[in-house]
Amino acid sequence: MVISPVLQRHPDDSWTLADPRTVSQRTHRVFLALADAILPASPRTETTLGDVTRHALVCLQYMPRSSAMALVAGMRLLNWAPLWRFRGLRPLTRLSRGDVHRHLVAVTQSRWLPVRALMYGPLGLFMSTYFDQDYAHRALDYDPVPFVEERIELRRKWLEGEEPGADQEIHHLPVVPP
Amino acid sequence: MSILAHRDYRAGQTFDAEVVVVGTGAGGAVAGAELAEAGRDVLFVEEGGYHPTSSLNPYLTESIPRLYRDAGGTMIMGRPPIPYAEGRCVGGSTLVNGGMTWRAPERVLMKWETLTGQSDLGPRELAPFFDRVEERIQAKPQHPVSVGDDSRLLEEGARRQGWRYEHNRRAQDRCVGSNQCLTGCPTGAKQSTLLSYMPRALSFGARCLTEVRVHKLWVERGRCVGVIGKAVNPRTRRCDIEVRVRSKAVVISCGAVQTPYLLRGHRFGRRNPQLGKNFLCHPNAKVVAIYPFDIHAWQGVSQGGQIREFLDDGIVMAENAVPPGTAAAQIPFLGEEALEMMKHYNGMVMTGVLVDDSHAGTVTRGFDGPLARYSINAYDHERFLRGVRLLATLHFEMGAKQVVLPFSNMHIANSVDDLRRIEQTQRSRSTIELFTVHLMGTCRMGADRRSSVVNLRGELWDLPGCYVADASLFPTAVGVNPQVTIMALATMIAQRVKVPN
Repeated sequence: MVISPVLQRHPDDSWTLADPRTVSQRTHRVFLALADAILPASPRTETTLGDVTRHALVCLQYMPRSSAMALVAGMRLLNWAPLWRFRGLRPLTRLSRGDVHRHLVAVTQSRWLPVRALMYGPLGLFMSTYFDQDYAHRALDYDPVPFVEERIELRRKWLEGEEPGADQEIHHLPVVPP
Repeated sequence: MSILAHRDYRAGQTFDAEVVVVGTGAGGAVAGAELAEAGRDVLFVEEGGYHPTSSLNPYLTESIPRLYRDAGGTMIMGRPPIPYAEGRCVGGSTLVNGGMTWRAPERVLMKWETLTGQSDLGPRELAPFFDRVEERIQAKPQHPVSVGDDSRLLEEGARRQGWRYEHNRRAQDRCVGSNQCLTGCPTGAKQSTLLSYMPRALSFGARCLTEVRVHKLWVERGRCVGVIGKAVNPRTRRCDIEVRVRSKAVVISCGAVQTPYLLRGHRFGRRNPQLGKNFLCHPNAKVVAIYPFDIHAWQGVSQGGQIREFLDDGIVMAENAVPPGTAAAQIPFLGEEALEMMKHYNGMVMTGVLVDDSHAGTVTRGFDGPLARYSINAYDHERFLRGVRLLATLHFEMGAKQVVLPFSNMHIANSVDDLRRIEQTQRSRSTIELFTVHLMGTCRMGADRRSSVVNLRGELWDLPGCYVADASLFPTAVGVNPQVTIMALATMIAQRVKVPN
């Protein structure tokens, strides 16, 4: 089915997406290290990490300056998790993906709320972007566009007077489980 | 041209209108449309952009910065911190909400009547306003063609438990269940204010300035005579062009967090001690059930109904399917574990427990934005534990193989037996994970200036000419989706706005 222009990923309605927030090289490396450990290793494309971190920097532009700065500061603090967790002297940017992953899992499961809260921003930004990509959708067998197109067409016919029948109801379960 | 954007403004530009309305959501669009229909020259000022239905799509990475405040990165500080979401676009939160049209329950309106000592906010006085709003937004039950399996499953689960389940009435015209409520309905069925009240207002001559953030009220000789804002450059996000609007009356409808933030930037004599107090937010706890069969909760209306068995205890339960990006950000796993969990996305039923606030927080001015503070109390915490346990039990009874719980130290339950540990393990309020989309109550309406911020006309006690028309007016929480109650109050206020000659 041809994708209808109305469901394009980047619709042209003369609205402009902001440029990404400018951060230092070091901060950018922290973003990349965190994204690499938070996201699944596969499926990915060559540009996944770049795309996800770029989008995170775009999102920061929409936040109040203090919130964006706090989020970046939180990520820089996370980078030194090995140190303040007394598990090492090197920052996450200098560890392997597996080691970074282990540190972040421990932070996510910390019993201390302020420590856990450090992961809210990176998780929200990176996960929501990654799982919005077509290759991630394919891995989940999630394909909203054809379904929405079919529904738009259904409503168009309805507006023209053709009320939908029972055959157009949404049923995946043959019966509600006993 | 009646809708302007950043590219249309010139430095130092001043617009004139009889009434300026700040915000185009459930409060602002309704108040502005009613005033325009009554013959007033209305000018809307909206911080977000104008996104027609043809531009709406199922992609979060595009929709979140376009449609949501702070790209969804908004948080209430407290124990626990509570992320919240609200719209920032023409249509406001009505463009990205579920469109539920529950009226404030009669017991709530009776309480408002008692609290204010006047019948204005009582069920009888408000009924005609509710009727008018429901007609305008086409509030009605869903057609069977729009209902998905997650709604049916929850309804059947409630029936088996012997609980009351009620189908939602929603603001919709021939909804076909595309399930894109949270990213803006691309079918045009949901009657957000983008499609209902704003076109109506524009047809009566109203104008709309988009991409302008109001940062100050224009006050002359003790009366509000307009607003001063800055246009936000869409590429740099810098506020770079000052825009002024001079008017005879001002209606502020920025929502329960932004409205007190704007008003607290001023001192009209002695600051009203109630301003920013009484912050209510209907916190929600998510309960995600994973079934061993495909349900495709992303097909069908985002919320078909609600379990209202425990409404008198202030607990409501409902399903609400969210896109995978949102779901993944909320599950407690990283990396490959997250992917393994998300591979069950088609078998997930995403549900939530809403608890009616029994106490309130505050909104103050932070460094460069509002600072909302709210912590749940022991009573609300207790109700969350009960609600989560009941809802998870329902899922297991319906055949779920696993339930993801909203507790940082107990995320997974594999059976009903596991749920017995909830009360033992959840002694601290810090371990529960909440979110919200209903923000209310920071400029409460009343008949006594000592206990309220605005009078029963919606006008600030301290600043003539300045009215409030949004959820911040609520004297107490409503316990249900607040959209229609906001709209009813905005309709009432629009009729009471006095425009001097």
